[in-house]
Amino acid sequence: MSTVDTSAKRSALAPLGKPFAAAGGVLGIVAALLPWVTFPLNDGNWPDNSTLQYFDAPFGVTGFRWHVLVLGILILVAAFAPVPSRGRVVRALGWGLTLVSFVNCAYITVKGGGLGAITALEGATAFGGVVGLVAGVLTILAGYGIGIEPVGEWKFKISTPVAYLVLLLSFGAVLYAVAAMLTTGGVGSANPYAGAIFLSFLGFATGVLGALSGVGYVRWLSALSEQHRVFSVIVLAACALLLPFTEAGNEYWMTVAANIGIYAATAIGLNIVVGLAGLLDLGYVAFMGIGALVAANFSGAATAYFGFALPFPVAAVIAAVVAGIFGAIVGSPTLRVRGDYLAIVTLAFGEIFTRSAQNDIGGFTNGSNAIPGVPALSLFGAEFNKSISIGAVKLPAGVLYYVLIVLLVAATMAVFANLKFSRIGRAWIAIREDEDAARAMGIRTGKMKILAFLIGAMLAGLAGAVFAHKNGTVSYESFKFLESVTLLAAVILGGMGSIPGAVLGAALLFVLPEKLRDFEDYRLMIFGLALVLIMRFRPVGLIPDAHRRAEMVERADENAEEAHVEAKKA
Amino acid sequence: MSVLFQQLANGVIQGALIALIALGYTMVYGIIQLINFAHGEVFMVASYGGLATFTLLPDDLKKSPAVALPLMFVGGIVVAVIVAVIMERFAYRPLRNAPRLAPLITALGVSVFLQEAVRVFYPNAKSNLPYPKVFPEGNLTIGSVNISWTGILLVALSVGLAVILQTYINRSRMGRAMRATAQDPDTAKLMGVNPDRVIVLTFVIGAVLAGVAGIMFGGYLNNINIDMGFQNGIFAFTAAVLGGVGSIRGAVIGAFIIGLIKTVAGQYMPGGTQYDYVWIFVVLILVLVFRPQGLFGEPERVRA
Amino acid sequence: MSTPVLEARDVSMVFGGLKALKGVTLTLEEGKIVGLIGPNGAGKTTFFNCLTGLYTPTTGEVLLKGNVLHGDPAKVTAAGLARTFQNIRLFPSMTVLENVMVGRHVRMKQGPLASLFHGPAYQRGEKAARERSRELLAFVGLNGVDDELSRNLPYGDQRRLEIARALATDPAVLLLDEPTAGMNPQETEATQQLIFRIRDTGVSVVVIEHDIKFIFGLCDSVSVLVQGELLVEGSPEVVRADPRVIEAYLGKPPEEVQHDVEAAAASVEEEQA
Repeated sequence: MSTVDTSAKRSALAPLGKPFAAAGGVLGIVAALLPWVTFPLNDGNWPDNSTLQYFDAPFGVTGFRWHVLVLGILILVAAFAPVPSRGRVVRALGWGLTLVSFVNCAYITVKGGGLGAITALEGATAFGGVVGLVAGVLTILAGYGIGIEPVGEWKFKISTPVAYLVLLLSFGAVLYAVAAMLTTGGVGSANPYAGAIFLSFLGFATGVLGALSGVGYVRWLSALSEQHRVFSVIVLAACALLLPFTEAGNEYWMTVAANIGIYAATAIGLNIVVGLAGLLDLGYVAFMGIGALVAANFSGAATAYFGFALPFPVAAVIAAVVAGIFGAIVGSPTLRVRGDYLAIVTLAFGEIFTRSAQNDIGGFTNGSNAIPGVPALSLFGAEFNKSISIGAVKLPAGVLYYVLIVLLVAATMAVFANLKFSRIGRAWIAIREDEDAARAMGIRTGKMKILAFLIGAMLAGLAGAVFAHKNGTVSYESFKFLESVTLLAAVILGGMGSIPGAVLGAALLFVLPEKLRDFEDYRLMIFGLALVLIMRFRPVGLIPDAHRRAEMVERADENAEEAHVEAKKA
Repeated sequence: MSVLFQQLANGVIQGALIALIALGYTMVYGIIQLINFAHGEVFMVASYGGLATFTLLPDDLKKSPAVALPLMFVGGIVVAVIVAVIMERFAYRPLRNAPRLAPLITALGVSVFLQEAVRVFYPNAKSNLPYPKVFPEGNLTIGSVNISWTGILLVALSVGLAVILQTYINRSRMGRAMRATAQDPDTAKLMGVNPDRVIVLTFVIGAVLAGVAGIMFGGYLNNINIDMGFQNGIFAFTAAVLGGVGSIRGAVIGAFIIGLIKTVAGQYMPGGTQYDYVWIFVVLILVLVFRPQGLFGEPERVRA
Repeated sequence: MSTPVLEARDVSMVFGGLKALKGVTLTLEEGKIVGLIGPNGAGKTTFFNCLTGLYTPTTGEVLLKGNVLHGDPAKVTAAGLARTFQNIRLFPSMTVLENVMVGRHVRMKQGPLASLFHGPAYQRGEKAARERSRELLAFVGLNGVDDELSRNLPYGDQRRLEIARALATDPAVLLLDEPTAGMNPQETEATQQLIFRIRDTGVSVVVIEHDIKFIFGLCDSVSVLVQGELLVEGSPEVVRADPRVIEAYLGKPPEEVQHDVEAAAASVEEEQA
C-alpha cells in the first residue's frame, strides 16, 4: 500500500525535509540557468534557446526554463517562509519541477536519439535536464520528509469589496493561464515541438496549482466564489469575453474555445445529475444529440424534416424542451430502480439513441448521411462565423459564436449555482448522501430525481442546439457512448458538484487532443488510463466542491492513520 | 416456421456465448457490488490472445486442430486471467472503500484502455481479423434447420461450465468462502476467510469463462474486432441483471433469454436486426421497473 | 376522550416466513411521551418503520390525528410524523445548518422555477427557513457549529442534530429510535431534559430505548414488545411491577447476556444492510 510507504518515508526522511527542499530549490534555479540540449535536433533547436549552440545568455531565461526558475524560487520560498501545510506545497512544486524536467528530457532523448542529447556529447555538455530531474525528485522527497498535513484552512473573513478584488484578480489570472494554455506551442503542426511544449506547460501548471491548493488558497477561493456567486459568474464571463483580445484571439482558437464551451455547458448539466443528485448517467450525450437534431430539423437545412426555418431562440427552446421530456422519461425508472442499475438504464438509452439515429428513425436524423448544411446563426446581418470589426479592432472569425457560447456557459453556471443553493439542490444532495433519510425528511425522492434528469437534459439539449448551428452538420457520430464517457470524465476530473471544475475538466479533455496530435493514436488509451489514475490518486478532481473535498480528504487521512497503526503492529 | 426454428437455434447459441460472459459479471457483482464494465474487454482480449497464440505456433501445428485449438484456449485464458488479475490488483482493490461511483468510473477507464491498447498494439487490429479454421466444421441439419458444430460445442461448453461452477460454489470450501464474503465480508473475515483471495479468485474464474467465450466467439463468427467486448459485455450485463445479479442460474437463463430476443426480434420485429439491440434494452428496463431484483434475485430490503 | 394524536391498530409485518410484528396496537395522546422497550429483535425498529411508511404493514393501519397514513415516508413526514434513526443517518457532507434546512424542505414551498431565479419571495422563504433552523439548533443546544460538516461533529452532537433535523419538519409526533445509545450519563440526562422540552412545545413523542431507567423516568406510558407482540402496556409503575415483564425482560441476568449478544448481532446485520 502506498499509504504505508508514505508514513515509512516520512519517518525516515523527517530530518532531511528542509535540507532536501533547499537543495531542490537551488538545483532547480541552477537547472534553469543551464543549457538542456547538447546539439540542435533534426527539427531545429529546442525551444527557448535551451540548445547549447543557441544558448545566448544564461540569465535571459524564457519559456520552460523560466518555468523551472519560478518553480525553483517557489520551492525555496515554501521551504523557509511560514506556509501552511508546507509538506503538501513542497511536494506539489516538486512534482511540477519533475514533470517539466521529465517531459523535456524525454522528448529530447527520443528526438535526439539517446541520452547524449541531454548529458554530454563530444565535449559539449548540457546538464540542465538532469539537474532539473534531480531537483524535482529531491523536492518531492522533501515534501514527504516535512510531512503531508491536511490542506491549510483559511478562516479569516474579508469584506465584500476586498473579496470582489480578490475574485477579480484571481479570475484574471485564470484567464491569463487559459490563454497561455491555448497558445503555448502554437497551433497543431506549425511547431514540431508543440506537444512537448504544451505538456511541459501543463507540468508547470500542475505544480503551481497543486501548491495553491496545498496552502488552502483554492479551497478558500472556491468558498469565496460560492459566497459571491453572482459576482463570480459575471466576472468569469467578462474574463472569458476578453479572451479574443489576447494572443488566443484567432479563428482557430475561437473555434476550439467555442467547442470547449459547448461541452462545458453540457458537462455542467451532467454535473447536476451526477454531482448533485448522485445519479450516474452513462447516456447523457444523447440529450445533446436530441437537442442538436431538433435544432437542425427546424433550421431550414436541405435535408431537414421540416421544410421551414424557425428563429434560433424558438428552435433552441423547443430543443431544450424535447430533450427535457426525454430526460424525464429516461429518469422515470429511478422511481423503482436503485443505484448501479440506473447506470445501465441510461447506458441502454444512449445506445438506443445511437442505433435509432443511425437508422434514420422517423426520418428525423437522415441516418448516416447526417444533416449537413445547418446554416450559421446571424444577428442583425452579422453572420456568427465571419469576423467582425468593432471600430478599429478587427476580431477573428467565429468570435460571435464564441461570445454566444460564453453567455450560454455563464447562464448554465448560474442555473447550476442557484439550484445547488436552494431547496431543490439541498434535496438532491440529501438524496445523494442517504436516500432513505431524505425520504424520512419528507423529500419526494422520485420526483426530485426525475427533476434532476429533466433539468440536466434540458441544458444538454440547449447546448446541442448551439452545437448544431456552430458545426453546421449533425450526425449521430458526434453523440456516441465515448462522448458520454468523456463528458463524465470532464465532470469527475474537474470535481463533482463543482462548477469551475466542470469547465476546467471540459477544457482539458477537449484541448488535449488538439495539442497532442502527435499522440493521436494513443489519445484514447491515455484517456482510459488517466481515468483510472484520477480515481486512484485524486478522486475529488482538480477543483473539488468544498464539501466533497473535506469528506475525501478526511477519508484519506483516516486511511493513512489506519495504515500507520497497522504498520506499527507488524 | 423453419425460419423461426433456425432463429431459435441461433438464439440459443448466442445465449450460450453471452452466458459465459454474464457469469463473470454476476460473480464479481455478487462479491464486491461492482459493475465491472471492463469484463467485456477481458473477453475481447482473450479472443486476441487466442489468435496470437495461433499465429505464434509452428506451421505444422497450425494444421492440426486437435493441438492448435486447445493451445489457443490455453493462450486466450492465460491472457484473460493475467489482465483480470492486474486489473483487480491495481485498479479496483485500492478503491474498495471509496465512494460508490469511483470504482464504476475506474471500470469505464479500464474498459477504454484495454480496447485502445489492443487497437494500437495488436497488428492490424484496426480492422476485422479472420479467426483460424481449427474449429469443428460442418453443420448438424435437422429438417431445414442448420446448426454449426462449433455452435453446438459452444452451447455444451457454456452449460457444462456453468454447472461445474454452480457445483463448485455450492460444494467446495472456497465456494463457501465466496458465498460468505458475498453475504457479509466483515464477518467472513472474522471467520478466517481472506477476502482478497476470494475476490481475486472470483476475477480469475470470470476471466477463465470469458476466455473460453472469447475463443468460441472467434470460432463461431470467423472473425473478431475490438468492438466485440463492449457490445457483448453490455448484453452479458443485461443478462446478469435480468436473471438477478449474483445468481448463477439467473445469469445463464437471462443470457439465453437475451440471445433469443436478439435473434427472434431481429427477424420479426419492425426494423429487423438494426433494432435487435433496442428490444433487449426494452426488456431490461421493463424487468428493472417491475422486478428490480431480476428473475432469480433476492428482493432488496430497505435498511433503517 | 379526544382523538389520540397517533394510533397504530393491529399492525402486523411478515418478512417471508418471519412474523416480525404480530398485531401491535399503540395509542399516543397529545402531549405525552410513550416509551417502547423490549429485547433486541423484538420488532421495535420494524414497528417504527411501519409507522413511518418505510415498510407497508402486512395488516393493520396507522392513524395520525384520525387520518389513515398511506405508505410513502415522504407523505408521512409531510402529515406530521418525524423520526430519527437508531444508527445515526445524517447527510454527512452537508453542513450542520444545511442538514436542518433539509428538514424544512417539506414546509417550504419553492418549486423549481423559484429555486432557479431566486426572486424576492424565494429569498424571504429561504431566510425564514434559515432562521427557524438556527432556532432549532439553539433549542437542542448546538451553537456555533452551523458551518461544520455534520460528519465532523462528536457522536452526542450528531444525535442532537438528528433531533433538530426531525423537529424542522414541524411534526405533531416525533419518533426517537434509541436517542441515548452510546451516551454517557450526563449526555443521557441532557437528552431527557431535551425530550421534556420538546414535549412542552406540544410535540408528542415515542421513544425506543434500552436504558430502562431512562424510559421509566421519562415516559407517561410504556409499552413492552417481546418477539413482535405487545406484552404489557401501562404507566411505568404498572410495567415495572408486572411479573411477565420482569421475567421476559428485566429479571434474569442471563437474559442480559443474551441481549448483549443480540445487540452485537443486530449491529452486524445493520452494517450488512
